[in-house]
Amino acid sequence: MDKKAGVKPTKLRAMVKHGSVSKIKGDAGDQNDTENEILMRGRNLMIPEDQLELPEKELSEELARVLTTVNHQIPKNLVEFSFRERSFIPSPITPHDVMLLQYVGTALHKESPEALLQLEAEYIEGAEHGPSDAGKAEKKEGEEEGEGEDDEIEGDADGDAEGDGEAEVDADGVDDEDGEEKIETKEDKKGPPQRGGKAKKLTNQFNFCERATLTYNNPFRDQGAQTTPPPQATFCDYINQWIVYDAYQEDYENQQNMKEKEKREKMTTAQPKKEEGTGRKRLDKHSVDPTTYRMFQAAKILERMINQNTYDEIAQDYRYWEDPSDEFREAEGTLLPLWKFSYEKTKKLNVTEICWNPQFYDLFGVTFGSFDFNKQVNEGYLCLFTMKNPSYPEYINSMDSGMMCLDFHPVHPYLVVVGLYDGTVAVFNVQLLTKERQYESDSVSNKHGGIVWQVCWGKDLTDGEMHFYSVSSDGKVYNWVLMQNELAQTLVITLYLDMEQIPGPDGTMVKITGCGTAIAFHPKEPLIFLVGTEEGNIYKCSTAYASIYLFTYEAHHMPVHRIDFNKFAPEIFISCSSDWRVKIWEDGRSDPLFMFDLGCSVGDVKWAPYSSTVFAAVTVDGKCHVFDLNINKYKAVCVQSIVSKKRNKLTRLSFNHKLPIIMLGDNKGSITTVKLSPNLRIKPKPPKKQQIIDERTLEIMKLEKLLALVREPQKITAPVDEESTTS
Amino acid sequence: MNSKASEVEDTLKRIQSHKGVIGTIVVNSEGIPIKTTMDNTTTVQYAGLISQLSDKARSVVRDLDPTNDLTFLRIRSKKHEIMVAPDREFILIVIQNPAE
Repeated sequence: MDKKAGVKPTKLRAMVKHGSVSKIKGDAGDQNDTENEILMRGRNLMIPEDQLELPEKELSEELARVLTTVNHQIPKNLVEFSFRERSFIPSPITPHDVMLLQYVGTALHKESPEALLQLEAEYIEGAEHGPSDAGKAEKKEGEEEGEGEDDEIEGDADGDAEGDGEAEVDADGVDDEDGEEKIETKEDKKGPPQRGGKAKKLTNQFNFCERATLTYNNPFRDQGAQTTPPPQATFCDYINQWIVYDAYQEDYENQQNMKEKEKREKMTTAQPKKEEGTGRKRLDKHSVDPTTYRMFQAAKILERMINQNTYDEIAQDYRYWEDPSDEFREAEGTLLPLWKFSYEKTKKLNVTEICWNPQFYDLFGVTFGSFDFNKQVNEGYLCLFTMKNPSYPEYINSMDSGMMCLDFHPVHPYLVVVGLYDGTVAVFNVQLLTKERQYESDSVSNKHGGIVWQVCWGKDLTDGEMHFYSVSSDGKVYNWVLMQNELAQTLVITLYLDMEQIPGPDGTMVKITGCGTAIAFHPKEPLIFLVGTEEGNIYKCSTAYASIYLFTYEAHHMPVHRIDFNKFAPEIFISCSSDWRVKIWEDGRSDPLFMFDLGCSVGDVKWAPYSSTVFAAVTVDGKCHVFDLNINKYKAVCVQSIVSKKRNKLTRLSFNHKLPIIMLGDNKGSITTVKLSPNLRIKPKPPKKQQIIDERTLEIMKLEKLLALVREPQKITAPVDEESTTS
Repeated sequence: MNSKASEVEDTLKRIQSHKGVIGTIVVNSEGIPIKTTMDNTTTVQYAGLISQLSDKARSVVRDLDPTNDLTFLRIRSKKHEIMVAPDREFILIVIQNPAE
């Protein structure tokens, strides 16, 4: 506070001095004279034109001016509007004094007690070096300060020569201060060299310095590089739900493939390479360009469509036409011819067997060969037809010898076994795209010595291996097991005739064997089977015994062409032969239950799958005979010529499992389809008392009833029967 | 593989020899006829129109159910029946006069 007070008087003094030039005229002395001079000179030089001309008197009049501490021009009743209080409130009064400069100084008055104290303290310190020097220095300093002040006053006087008005005073004041400072710095500069080696001096309160260095700024640098712009392309596509679905599906497939590949890689590392090699080989063999395959499928179906259009009427008949005249006929039926199947290459061959596929009701297999010993051909065909395409077979396979028989595997309907004229048996997989035989009996060591007349699959063995039986003219029944890569052959039975041994060419006794022509397995007992021979006997055998016959039926006098078990009663079977006859037998009974003479050689006979009393037979004169024992026990309910009598012979027939149609094969390689009229498939009516009986039991009951009628009189008229058979 | 391709050829030949078949056209995936038994203008017309139609028909089937797909197309007209087997890679077209 003291320091501040010390400064203030100087400032006030300056204010007064400049603000009132005229008043302190007298005080200023010669200084003011010079001022006036200057003023006068200026007046002479430039007098405004409109300047008021004053008389001398007025000019010389003295005007008194009063310097007050109160500023009259400050408004006293200043208000401002307060939005908060929504009224005018007096604003705080502006103070009259004007603060020009406030500066906290460190200067002390020399004579003030504080200064004295300080000096004393310094003196004591300085005494150690040299007290007299210190005193001198003080004195000098004092002088110098005094000089500085004088200078200041002079400067002021010069600078303010023309100034008047308060504003100017302010500005000058600032200038003054600057001046002061300048002097002080000057003094500082002077100070040090003068004092030089002096040990002690009064510390200079103003001796401070601020130091700053300006370092080099790191130069700013902008660096940029332009890369080649990434290629741009406009892409637009149509997208919808199924495209998205497809994309996902494809991705999923890829993932699965990758996984599989990894798995396979693991497998191959674990296992020897041998297996891999065979696997790949197999893949290569059966791989077909998928597009070609699809095109093939599409073409196939288009062909079926065309056939459907072409044979539209037949298709309609096949489904919906029921002979209306049947209603008016009592015990007669008709056969409606439908499609005719044939294949260009097999037109000269006989149909040697027809067999329906167990899985697809419209698919059937046909073998082509020749029954005529004198007209043997060196080609045989296996064709699979579908009812959807009568014009061309679905599957064709050929071998060098006539094919005589076939059978579809009941569980794996794609496996077909065929028997050939030269005694070979072979197994085809019709599912495969290639036409290779899956299995074939060795042409030298293990094959039949004669024509294979019939083949049939057996129920799979306990260890899952598939096997089939074949019967041949060489009098042997073989069992063939499908091993890993070969057919294992086992002899089931040799059909020795019940005759005396005859001497052979070299004197040894030779047993005469019969020629097997037909075989049928018991539907219930897998071990029991019947074999028909060329000599006309039917032998009941078991696969368990190779030496003896369980029963011998002296059935016919000519080769037996077919033995078929009834579909409902397994103890009843039917046989047919070239001796024009069809006979129905009961198991264990040496005499037939029924016997029918058809007037010419009977090629085939089959029980209907839908009725226990219906069967059909074909004869070489081109006729088809359909019997329903329930309707007529003595003659056929339908005899119809299917092919022309002169040229064609019917050879084989086959009932469809589901539909009321029969396939009839002839010796010109064509297969005729006929539909059974309603009279040929009459369903048994349930007895009135018991309404709920399933059809099967009804069928069995129907047959039992019929058999009961036959059995009794048969015993009585036994000699008559015998007579008829021998005649 | 060759045997399958020749089987396709055979089947197409058989189709052409069928009663009432007027023409057979095989169109590739780009809609260009690659095999035909008809004259040029008719073939081009059939190929263009049928491929458009089968695209549309496929889109109908698949829009209704993405897991489903179009397999065949039969167009019955007063005079003909046009049978189409649309595949991703090809389209088989057979024109038949069923009344013949």
